[in-house]
Amino acid sequence: MIDKRLFKLKGIIGTLMVLVFMTGIQGLTIIAQSVFMSRAIVDLWRGQSIEITLSNIVWFGLAFIVRQLLVVFKNQYMAGYADKAVENYRVQLLEKYTALGSTVVAKQGTGNAVTTLGAGLDNVKNYFQLLLIKVFDLSIIPWLVLAYIFYIKWEQGLFLLLIFPVVIIFFIILGLAAQSKADAEFANFKNLNNRFVDALRGLPTLKQLGLAETYSDEIYQISEDYRKTTMRTLKIAMTSTFALDFFTTLSIAVVAVFLGFDLLNGHMMLLPALTILILAPEYFLPLRNFSDDYHATLNGKNALTDVLAMIEEPNVSNQAVLQLTTWQSDSQLILNNINFSYDQQPVLKNITVQAKGYQKIALVGESGSGKSTLLNIIGGFLTADDGQIMINHQKLPHLAQADWQKQFFYMPQQPYIFHNTLRENIKFYAQNASENEVMDAIKNAGLSALVDELPDGLDSMIGESGRQVSGGQAQRITLARMLLDNQRKILLFDEPTAHLDIETEYDLKQAMAPILASHLVFFATHRLHWLDQMDYVLVLRQGEVVEQGEPRLLLADVNSQLNRLRYELGGK
Amino acid sequence: MNKVRQLLRRDSWVVPFLKSQKSGLFWSIVLSFLTILAAGSLMFVSGYLISRAAQRPENVLMIYVPIVLTRGFGIARPVFRYAQRLVSHNWVLRFVSKSRRRLYESVASTASNIRSRLQTGEVLSLLADDLDRLQNLYLRTLFPLGAGMILYLFVSVGIGVVNWLFMLWWMMMLSVIMIVVPIVSFFANRTRVKKQKQLQSQLYTEATDAVLGLQDWVLSGRQQDLIAYQGQVMADLANTKRTSMKFGWWRDFWIQILVLILVVSTTIWAGTQFAESRMAVNFIAAFVLAIFPLVDSFLGVNQGVSEASFYEDSMTRLNELPVPEAEVTTPKTIKTPTIVLNNVTFKYGDKVIISQLDLVVKAGEKVAILGRSGSGKTTLLKLIAGDIVPESGHVTIGNESVQSLKQNLSKFIAVLDQQSYLFDTTILNNVRMGNIGATDDQVKAAITQAGLQPLIDSLPEKYHTKMQEAGARFSGGEQQRFALARILLQNAPIVILDEPTVGLDPKTEHQVLRQIFKVLQNRTIIWVTHHLTGIDEVNHAYFLSEGHFILSDTPEKLRTTSTHFQKLLAMDDFH
Repeated sequence: MIDKRLFKLKGIIGTLMVLVFMTGIQGLTIIAQSVFMSRAIVDLWRGQSIEITLSNIVWFGLAFIVRQLLVVFKNQYMAGYADKAVENYRVQLLEKYTALGSTVVAKQGTGNAVTTLGAGLDNVKNYFQLLLIKVFDLSIIPWLVLAYIFYIKWEQGLFLLLIFPVVIIFFIILGLAAQSKADAEFANFKNLNNRFVDALRGLPTLKQLGLAETYSDEIYQISEDYRKTTMRTLKIAMTSTFALDFFTTLSIAVVAVFLGFDLLNGHMMLLPALTILILAPEYFLPLRNFSDDYHATLNGKNALTDVLAMIEEPNVSNQAVLQLTTWQSDSQLILNNINFSYDQQPVLKNITVQAKGYQKIALVGESGSGKSTLLNIIGGFLTADDGQIMINHQKLPHLAQADWQKQFFYMPQQPYIFHNTLRENIKFYAQNASENEVMDAIKNAGLSALVDELPDGLDSMIGESGRQVSGGQAQRITLARMLLDNQRKILLFDEPTAHLDIETEYDLKQAMAPILASHLVFFATHRLHWLDQMDYVLVLRQGEVVEQGEPRLLLADVNSQLNRLRYELGGK
Repeated sequence: MNKVRQLLRRDSWVVPFLKSQKSGLFWSIVLSFLTILAAGSLMFVSGYLISRAAQRPENVLMIYVPIVLTRGFGIARPVFRYAQRLVSHNWVLRFVSKSRRRLYESVASTASNIRSRLQTGEVLSLLADDLDRLQNLYLRTLFPLGAGMILYLFVSVGIGVVNWLFMLWWMMMLSVIMIVVPIVSFFANRTRVKKQKQLQSQLYTEATDAVLGLQDWVLSGRQQDLIAYQGQVMADLANTKRTSMKFGWWRDFWIQILVLILVVSTTIWAGTQFAESRMAVNFIAAFVLAIFPLVDSFLGVNQGVSEASFYEDSMTRLNELPVPEAEVTTPKTIKTPTIVLNNVTFKYGDKVIISQLDLVVKAGEKVAILGRSGSGKTTLLKLIAGDIVPESGHVTIGNESVQSLKQNLSKFIAVLDQQSYLFDTTILNNVRMGNIGATDDQVKAAITQAGLQPLIDSLPEKYHTKMQEAGARFSGGEQQRFALARILLQNAPIVILDEPTVGLDPKTEHQVLRQIFKVLQNRTIIWVTHHLTGIDEVNHAYFLSEGHFILSDTPEKLRTTSTHFQKLLAMDDFH
């Protein structure tokens, strides 16, 4: 019923003690409230005047108020605790994300990673807040109430005690039946839902094919099928709540009738009988509240599992092996016999690369040849299965080195633009850049036109849900980031222009070419015109380096692998 | 207040549906009222029963009726509740079916032929969420509110029979609980809800920023900034949520205090009202005990109503959707599908996108349109496909204005773009969507023509292979070939190719393009492309910049006359 993982939380024991204490008092006020209420009614029933029983009414009122106050206090107390715990998780999650870098996203999927951080943590919070209160209500209040009923009349107490497991057993049995029914229908549910989504996503195509109108009946039919399936499942699913409801309500009715007979036969007085009658619903109330939120609890549990699984992912070790202040013209990187496989499929085979000073190295090959993977290994985003890596004669386990990642700038095919102002986006890597430097970077990256066009110039919001920028503009913004941060002497490019239209590509190339000077450059691409900017090329084919050398020489050789690649990419 | 009233007056999603589905609504509300009534009656009769029994009547028969009633109400409550939940869910799901259809029709009526991506992706999922939210409006707000109102009347009448003065007191108290408090909490919560929603979406954007921009955060060494920055919004949101929960807790507390006042006053009233008769005193317990089960429904109404502002946005958004108009026009035919754009200007706001453009594409001619992003390529296609109407000038196909052909445009224009969608059904069915009346043989012939025969032969289920959602089981090149087969079947004289090969690797791109031009030999082709790959397949290439053509000629001539073209070609032809 209660998650063992909860006990690992910091400060949970103290918090729970307070909760137990408050719930205990609440239980007592429930008993007090019922007792004084009964006394008042019985007094009046006997025909006594209000004044005589006024003290009972006042005590009832006090108990009632204290009870309701405790409900509020418990909620506030646990909400405060849940906020703190979740805030803690959030920091841990973000730390883990940043420690693991983009591999996390690749593994989890973007959607998942975002959901864990947003809705996931929300569910966890609900779980802490709701579940703990309900669990402790259920484990304390009914038993205090029951003890008091035993004290008044043990026969009624025994009946209520025995009916409790019966209620739970029926709830569980029917719940399981509903579960299996729901599981059986799940495929159907999924299918129907997919068909709806399918139709919506395909709407532009339907429109183009002139079928959009005829499809609306299909949509209705799918939804109606969905309704029928859902109702079939609900009929079963609701029986478990029905059983709970049925047994608890009927128990109260049975208790009332039994009390009636006892009174009739003179075995009992009205006061104890009335007290039991008032207490009986209170005895079942925590159980009902608990079962009402059972599903919310399940969501919370799953979310907690996700969050904890993420936090417990092992960190990349040995990130501080490398000692390097700045990459210089005589610095050296050596990759020797690097192998990498993904899903047991070898992606890179025995790759050996040597880079020195401010060389400009192109990695070329068809899609799937392994050029991006190699770039990812150089960037330290992936770890090779084996092989040696050395920088300036220092042996390294991998390139996810803090000192290495400070040296380079990485431009992916589709750079991410933050939902922030254009200025903040450009200054992302160089927070302290001056206004003049920013203006220079904008000019040199060819962004002046965009700045003029934006309503608030540099201070306009861009990125998601702000103003969308085109692919070419995003590349230019990255270029400006690169220009502002002149500390980094290494540039990694992963197909930066592959998806741009050719004129934009041409313009961008003019802007980029001057930046390459006095940098070590790794440039992965299948747009071979970039070779005129490079002084070395590695030709990759199916994960292997099949040729390397100066582009000029290789292009001159009719039988070179580079020329073979040219031929193939040309579709000939 | 006015805003809410206006929203309800103009509403065409919720209110009309309520009116058209009266019987389901009636039973949902009546059953939830009966549930509460049975719960209250159980305590009422039980209270009477044991009080009467305590007087020790000589005969069991004297309390026989209350005994039977106690059991009856004990069974009735769960049964009513079960029935109520089934009826109301069924009703709500029916609402969902109808609104989904309406939503689809509305969106379909405005979808454009060219790049209607934004419209479908984000907006649709947003609207689908809205529908889900409206379900809750019924289940959590409207039904409890309806039942609460009936209960209000019933209880008032019930007490009124005994004492009309006391009835006034009850009516006053219940008005406070069921009308005043909900209205106050609705408006008190409204701004908070608004803020909460805004923070929620901010949190989502920032989480996306954190995850998608993770590499930049790490490489720039700004991990600590990320953690600090993210914390702020989350803390704000937690605070807002807590204030609104706190509000709810205290509201419930004060309702309980009002209930306490009712209980105490009822006790005192019953004590005096029924004191004089030996039979009547048994009603004291009955009246007092019956109040408690009613409290739950009071709380439910209040919670539901204060949540109602959560649905406001959803209702507004749905109501802003256009109502599809059923236009019936006689299908037109055209003889020679020559496309003519005559002095066409199109503005978006103040910005001129297409300016005084002339273009003639003769039947069977193949033209390529190139230009930077933002130069107006997409707008030009939209004008040709009739998705948008020019500010001035005319767009005609075979001397008929495009707007007049819109109803059955798919007869004249086929579109192949990057997002041609493959549905989760068999290959045969997917391709047949090009022409619903096509025979199996015709469909198979089109598939062969698109160069897919070797692929089909390699599949165990051949033509009956399921595509999976969005054609996920096939590669990008294969998906485009399937879309091509569909277009072959569609048999429209004009084909718009809207960057159909973006995202394919160069080798596949070449192959697909070659196939496209081979099988579409006899059609008119307007091809928007971002590379010069395959440019020799066209008769004429147009370069668009700032809304007009800056360069246009046959590819052969451009090779010799234009240095711009030569420069671009040198980049693409480096292969």
